[in-house]
Amino acid sequence: MHAMFNGDFGVILVNIFLLGILFAVAIAIARMRSLFAIVMLSGMYSLVSAAWYVAIDAVDVAFTEAAVGAGMSTVVLLGAMLLTSRTAKPEKFFFRLGPLLVCLATGAALIYATVDLPALGDATSAANAGVGYTYLQVGWFDTGIPNIVTPVLASYRGFDTLGETTVVFVAGLAVALLLGFGERSLAERIRNEGRTSNRGSKKAPAVSDEDPA
Amino acid sequence: MAEFLTDIQGIWEIVRFPLGALMCLAGALLCLVGTVGVLRFPDIYTRLHAASITDTSGAALVLIGMMLLSPGWLIVAKLFAICVFLFLTSPAASHALANAAHTAGVQPIIGRVGSSDADGEDA
Amino acid sequence: MNTDHHVILRVVAKMLIPVIVIFAFYVQFHGDFGPGGGFQAGVIIAVAIILYALIFGVPAAMRAVPPAFTRSLAAVGVMIYAGVGFWALLQGGQFLEYQALFHEPPGEHHGQHIGIMVIEIGVLCGVSGAMLTIFYAFAGRVAEIRDEDW
Repeated sequence: MHAMFNGDFGVILVNIFLLGILFAVAIAIARMRSLFAIVMLSGMYSLVSAAWYVAIDAVDVAFTEAAVGAGMSTVVLLGAMLLTSRTAKPEKFFFRLGPLLVCLATGAALIYATVDLPALGDATSAANAGVGYTYLQVGWFDTGIPNIVTPVLASYRGFDTLGETTVVFVAGLAVALLLGFGERSLAERIRNEGRTSNRGSKKAPAVSDEDPA
Repeated sequence: MAEFLTDIQGIWEIVRFPLGALMCLAGALLCLVGTVGVLRFPDIYTRLHAASITDTSGAALVLIGMMLLSPGWLIVAKLFAICVFLFLTSPAASHALANAAHTAGVQPIIGRVGSSDADGEDA
Repeated sequence: MNTDHHVILRVVAKMLIPVIVIFAFYVQFHGDFGPGGGFQAGVIIAVAIILYALIFGVPAAMRAVPPAFTRSLAAVGVMIYAGVGFWALLQGGQFLEYQALFHEPPGEHHGQHIGIMVIEIGVLCGVSGAMLTIFYAFAGRVAEIRDEDW
């Protein structure tokens, strides 16, 4: 009984709690039809997973997840949602069966694979024993930068990061090529301003004067 | 006088841990109350009221408790910054939600407690 | 009668947006010592401008940060990054070999610091420009978010 209340137990409890929230949110996303709620829940999923990354000491990943997943992708998904309808069409039961089977098979395979995973922070695991251990040892001598993530990302793996930056750039370019640069709304706004001085202030009283009945 | 000051410091060192724990507990209780309110209240405005209790009072009490428990001034400053930003953003977010609901024409449910929902829709 | 529904949001956003941008630069230049770096800072700067667009309207944001600027920023960021590589090449080293930037022996870190800082700035420009381009591409197709949709 006493062993249950040592330091590890609290960490395990936090992990189980956060992963349970992730599971519940994922189930809720799968079962919902309203796209707005789904976008909000996916933002929440990113935020909770960022909290979980902090709990397992992956602070850099948590930071990225919080900034990109909860901030950026929610906004972009909202913008995409405004272009389409607000609710998803329910699929027929038969068409839902195939994806369910694929998901179940993949999940079973992944759970089967977790048995062979090394423990978190295991020094003899493949990620820590090979080149990662070398970087930890020689990183300070090579670059003189305290945060080991930065020299690995920018110096040892500088070529990969150049590729990643190019990928982000190409992604922006592809979206802009598909959807246009978005300058149309600016042009429309300027045209409208030339026609009527202020559309917003004219419309607002109409809303508040609405009969409550 | 100097003895008295060191005495105060010693007393403070003893007192601040139970005080901080008490603050954290109070904040957690407020969060619990807010959550129950979100689940139990009938319409969006009352639910928003319960949620904003969690956002502001609950979080602020927990943060103040953590400030009392913290070992150094740097952590106190960071927690204070978090507190300030929370106090700026949470009420603004609640206001935006309530404003959006009001602009979209959501009416609060008015009537006696326990009366049927039809009563609220008529109002 | 004041019909502006969003006055509180505007005031809070005006207070918060400069703080968000300052935090982004803190993340950018503190990346050597703590979590963070160019990618995160770029996204945070993009989010600050998107917050401005959400509160004050997309056309106002497009006037402040024009789409032509964001797409050139994305390209310039990648160019800065690759430019450091070519700078190292011109100094006689290999592509992106920071040690060769100032012809330093191993153990001296001036070139590493400068090189990493410059490529992080390149990543910052590239990511924030690309993110804002994506946002403008989506938001520019949507008609202005009407008051009923808030």
